[in-house]
Amino acid sequence: MRPGSRSDRIQVLVAEQAARRGARAGVVDVCTAAVAALPVGGAGLSAMSRTAASHPLCSTDDISAQLEELQLTLGEGPCVDAFVRGSAVLTPDLLTGELQEHWAVFADAALEAGARAVFALPLQIGAIIPGVLDLYADVPTVLDAEQLADALAFADLATLLLLDTQIVEADPTGGGPAPERGFEDLGTYRAEIDQASGILTVQLGVGIEEAFIRLRAHAYVQGLRLADVAADVVAHRLRLSPDAEPDRTDEET
Amino acid sequence: MNQQLLAKTFVELADNLVADFDLIDFLRLLTDRCVGMLGAGAAGVLLADRDGKLRVMAASDEQVRLLELFQLQNDEGPCLECFRTGAPVIVPDLTREVDRWPRFVTAAHRSGFGAVQALPMRLRDEVVGALNLFRATPGPFDPAATLIAQALADVATISLLQQRTTHRSTVLNEQLQTALNSRVLIEQAKGKLAERQNIDMEQAFTALRGYARSHNRRLVDVARAFIDGSEPLVGLGA
Repeated sequence: MRPGSRSDRIQVLVAEQAARRGARAGVVDVCTAAVAALPVGGAGLSAMSRTAASHPLCSTDDISAQLEELQLTLGEGPCVDAFVRGSAVLTPDLLTGELQEHWAVFADAALEAGARAVFALPLQIGAIIPGVLDLYADVPTVLDAEQLADALAFADLATLLLLDTQIVEADPTGGGPAPERGFEDLGTYRAEIDQASGILTVQLGVGIEEAFIRLRAHAYVQGLRLADVAADVVAHRLRLSPDAEPDRTDEET
Repeated sequence: MNQQLLAKTFVELADNLVADFDLIDFLRLLTDRCVGMLGAGAAGVLLADRDGKLRVMAASDEQVRLLELFQLQNDEGPCLECFRTGAPVIVPDLTREVDRWPRFVTAAHRSGFGAVQALPMRLRDEVVGALNLFRATPGPFDPAATLIAQALADVATISLLQQRTTHRSTVLNEQLQTALNSRVLIEQAKGKLAERQNIDMEQAFTALRGYARSHNRRLVDVARAFIDGSEPLVGLGA
């Protein structure tokens, strides 16, 4: 298997859903693509926050919508656990005593709604967790290694799409990645991107999520590769300041 | 080979596995011992993500240059070859491998390394990553040291299973994902601390780890609290 092929394949699946809708790819396309690719009946996605109200963003069907609403209203369920723990919560069968005890209200309500298996995947980049992707099946279901890897790849793409909506909101004319370029940060990992996000929290006086969004926005607007911008920030060749234009501290770049 | 140091290292590693387990700190300890005990100039533990790309989980040195050397091996190099074949790749003299890995050999030379070995990290039938050791001077690797390095690679692999799991069925894939995310979290925290205190990434890592150890906390928990600013962390300027 060619390295990176999973991310590439998942991006294509999501882009196809977006094309069918005739719109720019968004988290809803991740949900529909995930349902088409995985042995699940529906998918839903909620924006999560420790400091503000969490809210459902989209769902592919009524059962998914109910599951999102239930968890956010009750404050319990796999989605909530995935958010708090920062790791996937895989529930092949809700009808087990232990789980019904753990999610006293949610487990029964979810079964009542028509879900039997629920998989909650945090949208996460280190300390950045802007939401959770929930998948459900109406029969007991175990995701095999390949399916879980795909599910995690869908969650990764949803993370970037969700964060990028904030770039688009901030600057509707210029923001967002060029579609033909895709999401390079899905394909290759660079420690500098994470270090640069941390650095920008201090330079900009913002939280880690905002810092990451600003880093990406800078790369998009300047038409630069994210990895290059991040390397410049880490090497102190580039500083971003809260309001002003970015300062180039090294002209040779 | 210092027998006493060897015994002490395995006791130390075992202690860490038993205590409140901190994967990243543990792997860093392991890479440090590869340097201190086995005479490596630098060492790193690399894990494959679900796309089969190698990512650094821990390195004996947090400087970008070394991390780049590991990163480069997603295209070519002993680690990639070791990961693909599941067999050790031992290169006593890198200058002889220019044709095999032109970019990697050049980068390694620039960083001052002349010899390298990559040892597989295997979990049952699956190769999950590799332990990579660099040495400055060319020359044969001591077979006894290689055996010990492989034992350390095996310990690193076992440590991945130590991640706590509750209320969920867990598969390897998801454990690796969690481990890789811990590393991302620590990189973010390093960046924040380095910028705040005007120190480099290695110093930032050392400060975070020092704080975690002296407060008996897991490194990832300290890193998260530091990034979120959710609690006072005296000494980290939070």
